[in-house]
Amino acid sequence: MTDTPATPARQSLRDWLQAPTASSPRQARAQAFWRGWQRLIANRAALAGLIVLVLLVAMAVIGPYLTPYSPLQQDLTARLQPPSAQHWLGTDDLGRDILTRILYGARITLMMALLVAAIAGPIGLAVGATAGYLGGWFDIVAMRLVDVFLSFPSLILALAFVAALGPGIENAVIAISLSAWPPIARLARAEALTVRKSDYIAAARLQGASSMRLILKHVMPICLPSVVVRVTLNMAGIILTAAGLGFLGLGAQPPSPEWGAMLASGRQFMLTSWWLAATPGAAIMLVSLAFNLLGDGLRDVLDPRND
Amino acid sequence: MGGQVFRTVVSVSVTILGLLALTFFIGRLLPLDPVLAILGDDASQEAYDRMVVKLGLDKPLWEQFVTYVWNSLQFDFGTSLTSGRPVAEDILRVFPATLELATVAMILGTGLGIPLGVVAAANRDTWIDQVVRVVSLIGYSAPIFWLGLLGLTVFYAALGWVGPPGRIDIVFQYDLEVRTGLYLVDSAMAGRWDIFADVFSRIVLPASILAYGAMAYISRMTRSFMLEQLSQEYIIAAQAKGASRQSVIWRHAFPNIAVQLVTVVALSYAFLLEGAVLTETVFAWPGFGRYLTTALLRADMNAVLGCTMIVGLIFITLNLLSDVFYRVFDPRTR
Amino acid sequence: MKTYRNLAGCVAVTAFAGVAPAFAETPPDTLVMARNIDAISTFDPAQIGEVVTNEIILNICDSLVAIDPEDESAVVPAIAKDWTVSEDGMKITFNLVDNAVFPSGNPVTAEDVAWSMQRVLKLGFGNAATLTEFGFVAENAEADFVAIDDTTFEMNLSRPYPTALILQAVASNRVANVLDSELLMGEEVDGDFGNGYLTTNSACVGPYALRQWNAGEAVVLEANENYHGTPPNVKRIIIRHVAEAQAQRLLLEQGDIDVARDLGAEDLRDLNENPDIEVASTPMHQLYYMGFNSADERFADDRVRLAFKYLMDYDGMADTVMAFLGMPRASVVPLGALGALDEAEGQPFSLDLEKAQSLLTEAGYGDGFSARLFIGTLPYASPIAQHVQENAAKVGIDLEIEQMANAQLFSAFRGREFDTIMLSWQTAVPHAHGMLSRHAVNPDNSEEAALTMFPTWRASWFSEDFNQRVDDALFERDEAKQIEMYKEIQRDHMQTGPFAYSFQLLDTAALSDSVKTWKWNAFRAYYPLIEKN
Repeated sequence: MTDTPATPARQSLRDWLQAPTASSPRQARAQAFWRGWQRLIANRAALAGLIVLVLLVAMAVIGPYLTPYSPLQQDLTARLQPPSAQHWLGTDDLGRDILTRILYGARITLMMALLVAAIAGPIGLAVGATAGYLGGWFDIVAMRLVDVFLSFPSLILALAFVAALGPGIENAVIAISLSAWPPIARLARAEALTVRKSDYIAAARLQGASSMRLILKHVMPICLPSVVVRVTLNMAGIILTAAGLGFLGLGAQPPSPEWGAMLASGRQFMLTSWWLAATPGAAIMLVSLAFNLLGDGLRDVLDPRND
Repeated sequence: MGGQVFRTVVSVSVTILGLLALTFFIGRLLPLDPVLAILGDDASQEAYDRMVVKLGLDKPLWEQFVTYVWNSLQFDFGTSLTSGRPVAEDILRVFPATLELATVAMILGTGLGIPLGVVAAANRDTWIDQVVRVVSLIGYSAPIFWLGLLGLTVFYAALGWVGPPGRIDIVFQYDLEVRTGLYLVDSAMAGRWDIFADVFSRIVLPASILAYGAMAYISRMTRSFMLEQLSQEYIIAAQAKGASRQSVIWRHAFPNIAVQLVTVVALSYAFLLEGAVLTETVFAWPGFGRYLTTALLRADMNAVLGCTMIVGLIFITLNLLSDVFYRVFDPRTR
Repeated sequence: MKTYRNLAGCVAVTAFAGVAPAFAETPPDTLVMARNIDAISTFDPAQIGEVVTNEIILNICDSLVAIDPEDESAVVPAIAKDWTVSEDGMKITFNLVDNAVFPSGNPVTAEDVAWSMQRVLKLGFGNAATLTEFGFVAENAEADFVAIDDTTFEMNLSRPYPTALILQAVASNRVANVLDSELLMGEEVDGDFGNGYLTTNSACVGPYALRQWNAGEAVVLEANENYHGTPPNVKRIIIRHVAEAQAQRLLLEQGDIDVARDLGAEDLRDLNENPDIEVASTPMHQLYYMGFNSADERFADDRVRLAFKYLMDYDGMADTVMAFLGMPRASVVPLGALGALDEAEGQPFSLDLEKAQSLLTEAGYGDGFSARLFIGTLPYASPIAQHVQENAAKVGIDLEIEQMANAQLFSAFRGREFDTIMLSWQTAVPHAHGMLSRHAVNPDNSEEAALTMFPTWRASWFSEDFNQRVDDALFERDEAKQIEMYKEIQRDHMQTGPFAYSFQLLDTAALSDSVKTWKWNAFRAYYPLIEKN
C-alpha cells in the first residue's frame, strides 16, 4: 500500500472493494455491500426505481424553490385551467398551481412514508426478533397480538384509529403504523427462529452475553435485510393507504397539498378537468412503483434463497 | 397430534378474544355518537338520556364488554342502527356480493399471476423478467379507486365493453330468484342467460382491477419460489438427464412450489374477502367493505363490531386451513 | 412458452367475451334515479331526519294536507278534505276524506291521525321538536290531538299560532303522516309503537308504497293500486344507491338511469350544454352557514362574528364552486319564505378585508388569533372552507380546518365542542318563523337546559331581545306589519346574530331526455307527477 501513494483515492477504493481476499472484517462487509450494490444496479428495474426515488428526494428538497407559485395561493379567476406554459400541470378548483402543489406534496408524502417506516420498522423488528429468540410466553403473547392486528383489515384499522384520534397527517401516520408493524414482526420472528439455534449465537451465549445484547447485536442484524426489503415494499402500501384515507376524507387536512388529498378532491373533476386527479394519481403511482421496484430488486439481492 | 390440536384451539380462541377486545376498544374510542345516529340531530336531551339507558351505554364498561363477547359468540351482533335489520342478516346479504367479486378476481389473478411468475423465473434477468416485473408491479402501485374511475371512463363510457357500475341491472334485480346470493351462479341455475350476461359484464371490470393487485403479489411470490426450486440439485440433475426446459419447469419444479403457492393464494383471497372498500365505493358494489366503512362513519357500532368479527374469523380460518394444508401436503414436512 | 401464452389468452378472452355494449334504456313505466342513499336509516316518519328519506316518505305517506305543487307557500287537501279554525284561533278541526284505505285493508280514520301524531311526541325522536316548538308536549298529546268521530280530527293549540304556519309546519309535515294504527299496534315490540316494524316497512296511504329497501343498494317504490287520489303516472320508482358522483354522470350519459341527484358543479355545467340532458334546480329553504362558539370570548364579540362575513367572495364562489348548487344569501330567512328580505337586501356583504380588519381591531383582535374550523364531507365544504381560511389568514386569523364525517360533526356541534364550524340547516316552512325560531331564539342558554335542538344553544348564543321580538312578530295579526317586523329582525340578526350565512342551497337534478315532467319545489319532489316519454 505504501508503494502506491500516487494512485487516486477513487481507484484504490475500487481495488480495495474488488480485492479477491478481504484483509479485515470491515473490508469483508464493505465488499459484500459492494457486490450487492453491483447486483442491484445490474437490475435495470430496481435501478430505475432507485433513480426515481433519488429524483423524488431531490424534488422534495429543491423543488419548492424552482416554482414561482405558492402551493396555497388561490385565484378563482384562474381555476381549472388545463396544462399550459404558465401552469405546466394546470390549476385546481381554487386556481392553485398543481405542479407547485405536487412539489410541496412530495415532502409530505415522503415524510409520511418515512415516519411510518421509522415507527413500524423498529417496532416490528424488535417485537419479532425478541419473540423469535426468546420464544415461550413472550412469543405466544406477541404473536397472538400480531394475529389480532393482522386479522383486522388494515384500511379499516387505520380508519378507526384516525376517526378516534382525529384527522390529520400526524394521526394518519400513527394509525398507519399501527397496521404496518405486525407483518414486519411476523417476518422478523421467522428470521429470528432460523438463527436462534445457530452455533455462533450459542457461542456468544456461552461467553456470557445477555439476552438483550444477543438480540440487539446478533439476532436483529440477521433479521435486518429482510425487514428492510419488507419495509421498502411496504412504502408503496403506506403511500396508498394514506391516499385511501384521503379519499375517505380522513387523511391530510385541507389546504395541505398531500397527494392523496389532492387526488380525493380532484376525483369530482375526473370527467371535466382530468388533470386534477391524473397528476397526483400518476405521482402516487410512480413513487409507489419506484418503491416496489426497488424493494423487489433488494429482495433479489438480499434473499439468500435466490443465490 | 392431540397437543398440537389443543394448542391451535387455544391460540385461535385467544386471537378471537383479542379481536373482540380490540374492536370493542375502538368502538368506545370513536368520537361518534350511536345515540345521535338513532335519534337524529334534533332530539331533546331527555330522549337522548332515555336512549342511552335503552342501549345499555350507561352500564360499566366491563359489563358492556362481557355482554358483547357473550352475544358475539352466539353470532348475535344486535340490530344495525342504520339499516334497522339484524347485523347478521345484513352480513348475509352483503357478503355474497364481496364473495362473488373476490372469487372472480382471484380466478383472474391466480390464472395470470402464476404463469407470469413462472415465466419471469424461467427467464430470470432477461427483458422478459423485467417487463413482467414492471407490468405486474404497476397494478400494485396504482391507487385503486383512481384506476377504477379511469377504467369506468374508458371501458364503460368510451368503449362500451363492460357494464355500468352496480351489481345487476335494476330491471333484473327483482326477476332473479336469489338462492346463493352469487348472481352469476343464481342466474345460471335459473337458466337466465340474459341476466348472467348482464351480471358478468358488470363484474368484469371491478374484478379485473382487484385481480391486477392480487396478480402482482402472486406473480412475485411465484417467481421467488420458482427461482429457489430451479437452483436445487434435482433440477440440475433432471436437466443433465436431458429433460426439456418445459418439462423441468412444469413437471419437476412446479409441483414443489404448489403448496407454498396455496398459502399465498389463500392470503390474497382473505385480503380480498375483507372487502375492497374503495373498489366497492367506485363501482356502487353493495358489498362487505362498503357496508363496514359506512357503518364506521355513521357510528353504527353493532354493525362495525359484527363485521370485524366476521373478517377476523375469515382470516383466522383461511390461515388455519393453509397451515393444515401445508403440514399435510408439503413434501418437505412429510 | 407457448403454454402460458395460450393460458393467458384464454383468460383474457373469457374476461372480455360476451360483453356486448347494448344501448341501455330504462323501462317506460319505471323511473330509475341514482342517488347517494347512505343516509337512509329508517322509514318511520317519527324518526326520519334526513333530506333523502323525507323526500321519499312524503311520496308514500300522505299527511293531513300537502304543499301545493303549483305554489310552495300554499297547502292543498290530502287526507283532510277541508278544515275550519275556531274564532280564538286555538282549535283547528279537520274533516277527513272517507274513502282512503290502508294497504292492509283498514280504513283511514281520525283515530289513526290522532294516534300517529301522539306517537311522534311519545317516541321523542328529533322530529318531536317540530311539534314541541308549537307547544305540543307528550304529557298532553291525547288532549291536543283528538279524534271526534271517524272523519273528524281536532288539533288543540296552546297559543293562537297563525293557522297558515301550523298547516305548513305541522299538518303537511311528516309528523302528520297518517299511519295504520291497528296494524302497527299489532307489530309493537316493547312499547315502540311499531317503530321497529316501520324501519323497513311502510304502513300508510299514499300514491306509492315502499316495496323494498336494501341499505346501500336501492329503494323501490311501487304505485299504490288502491290509492284514493289521482294515480301516479309512473308505475315504479327505483332509487339506486350510487355514491360516486362521477359514476352517476356516466350512468346518466349512457342512458342507464333517468335522473342523477348528486352531481357536482362542474359536471352540471358540462351536462347543461348537453342537448340530451336537462339540469333542473329549485332553491331549498336550506342555508349553508358558519357557526361560532360564543362561549369563547373571542366569538362572543359581535364584531368578530361580523368580520367573518367580509371574508368571502360570495359572487366568486357562486360562479365557481357553488354554481348550480347555491346562491349567496346572508339573511337568516331564505328567499321565498314569508317575511324574507329581498335578494339585494338579504345579501349586503362582499369580500372586504379592510372592513374585516377594522372590525377585528375595534374588537381588540387586531393581531388576529387562531381557531379550529370543523367541516363535513360535502364536496363543496372543503373549497369554501379553504377560501375563507385564505382570506382569514390575510387579516391575521389562522384557521385550522378539520374535516370529519357528518355524524362526528353533529356530535361536536351539539356538544358545544368546537371553535367554528360549517354546516347547513333546513326548515320545512316557507315562513320567516321557520328559521328564526331556531336561529334567533334560545329559551335558556344554561348548560343544564341542554336545549340541543336549538343551534343558538349549541353556539352558546343568547339574546332576550331576539327571543321577544320573534315571539311578537309571530303573533302579529296584521300581515304587513308582521312582515316589516320580520325584516327588521333579519337586518339586526345579520349584524349581531350568531351565525354567518353564505349560501341558500339549491336542489339539483340532471334529467335524461326520457323524463318529460319533473315536478318539485323547496319542500317536496312530486313523484306521482313525474312523466316519462
